[in-house]
Amino acid sequence: MKIKFWGVRGSIPCPGAKTWKYGGNTPCIELRTKDPERLIIIDAGSGIRELGNYLMAHDLPKGPIKADIFLSHTHWDHIMGFPFFTPIYIPGNQFTVYGPVSFEDETLKDIIGGQLTYRYFPIRQDELAAKIDYIDLKEGIIDLGDGITVRSTYLNHPVLCLGYRFEHHGKVFCTAYDTEPFRNVFCTDPNDPSYDEGMAIEGDLVAAEENQRLSDFLSGSDLLVHDAQYTQEEYETTRLGWGHSSFEYVISMTKDINVKKLALFHHEPMRSDDELDQLAEKYCAKQDEIEIFMAKEGMDIEI
Amino acid sequence: MKNEGSISQKMRIKKIKIYIAHMPTLSTTVTKVMEICDRPDTLPNDLNRVISLDPVLTGQVLKLINSAYYSLPNKVTSLTRAIIMLGLNTVKNLALSSSVLKSIGGRHKNQSVFMDIFWAHSLCVGVTAKALAAINGIAANEREEYFVAGLVHDLGKIPLLSSYPEEYLQILKLGKTEQFHLKEAEKSIFNIDHCHVGKIIAKKWKLNAAISECLEYHHSPQDSSPENRNLIKTVSLADIYSNLLEKELAGHNPSEGSIEDEILNDMEVSRDVLIDLRPTVLDQIEKSKIFLQI
Repeated sequence: MKIKFWGVRGSIPCPGAKTWKYGGNTPCIELRTKDPERLIIIDAGSGIRELGNYLMAHDLPKGPIKADIFLSHTHWDHIMGFPFFTPIYIPGNQFTVYGPVSFEDETLKDIIGGQLTYRYFPIRQDELAAKIDYIDLKEGIIDLGDGITVRSTYLNHPVLCLGYRFEHHGKVFCTAYDTEPFRNVFCTDPNDPSYDEGMAIEGDLVAAEENQRLSDFLSGSDLLVHDAQYTQEEYETTRLGWGHSSFEYVISMTKDINVKKLALFHHEPMRSDDELDQLAEKYCAKQDEIEIFMAKEGMDIEI
Repeated sequence: MKNEGSISQKMRIKKIKIYIAHMPTLSTTVTKVMEICDRPDTLPNDLNRVISLDPVLTGQVLKLINSAYYSLPNKVTSLTRAIIMLGLNTVKNLALSSSVLKSIGGRHKNQSVFMDIFWAHSLCVGVTAKALAAINGIAANEREEYFVAGLVHDLGKIPLLSSYPEEYLQILKLGKTEQFHLKEAEKSIFNIDHCHVGKIIAKKWKLNAAISECLEYHHSPQDSSPENRNLIKTVSLADIYSNLLEKELAGHNPSEGSIEDEILNDMEVSRDVLIDLRPTVLDQIEKSKIFLQI
């Protein structure tokens, strides 16, 4: 498998002189398999625009483009690039878009394609020339054919969000963003009037079980791309419940689950290249057998 | 009372099934659910509690969680787990969703009086079952299932009442004057009783086996499967206890003394324990009423 980052930034694109090194585009990852060659795209943040341009120049001349696009969730930073993904305007190209939809929301097609209305954009969804199918995803397993399987699992984010596990020829590539550790959200102070012993005990138990479930899902990754937007201090002081993880948590969680490479991902848009360099120095020293690094726009990884 | 012989059981079950598909929640809790869910800073404890106080809403939310989010049924059986896994917003949205939050509109006054009595009884059985579970040494984190089972045990009555209000209210009225068994009376009039209707609800909502059996066997715990029998027996005793307590509070005589020795011996619960339980149960119900501002 070959993986390339086209967008690594969280929340909002932040181009400029201070972010050119790590990149300012929001999430988009390209995954290619060999034997046979398949193209999978994870997320359609602003980074997908550049990927689209690359595909137009390098893939389209060889024939129509066919790809599976997996969306982690439908927050804007993960879907905003879709209308600017040029291959969707080319007849003959084929895309299947997979993603989670919260209960009673519109369908995935309405949410993603809803960006293509005259209110927001000069072209309507119905005017797209490529063939695009949408599949609403839950937790489960998908057989993409050619020996490629994709498993999906729920993460912990304020909207329904999926982590993915791609497997092909014994290699494992996982994504887990946007997510924060599951925690007991119920009151645990026996002196608080709303305290309920059952809820407090079960809450602790469930949070531990859910974190275990997620780390089991990610175990054995040859490459894991994980949310690491904050430092532990930032997370604990003001960002509990925002749906993002800390460097410290991710690094300690991956220690015992046989992950070979860990890419820290979904960088905070306020962070400059210098600040990310400093954080990389602190957190990315090779720990045990895991290679830890900051995801960077344009970076290629082969597993 | 109409001659119901002409309406086949098949037709009745069909009507009941249609009703179950759009079964509304109890009006008792609707206002509070709306109030809590509308707050931007809803406390998880409050959300859990307000949903837990309504047997229909609890069932509906668990049903939606399992059908909307999981390919496999019965994955989530507690609201505590649902709130941690899916987040407060999702569960709030589920509780607020139009398909869930429609209150049962009584066509006449007696129907809404029944709903209030029904709600109080459901809560009483839930609270008692949970308290009995504690006495019997069930771990604190497993007691929620006893509460939920007690809370929802009588759900099968709602479709009967709502689909055939006249007849059902007559049966209940009869119960006030004569010694009779409700289940038998339902069967003689409708050809189906609330336990059977409960089974249909559980199947339709994909409730887990323990809760399903509770809806079906709370009047005949001996018929439940061995792995769920303790739960069903507990709810059954809680049901008997609650009926007696309610009668006593309404000015009648019976008390814990009239529960048969056989049941108490079987559950290894002494009469004194039941008497001691009373303040806890009454206190819990009172607290719930204050919480719901009713």
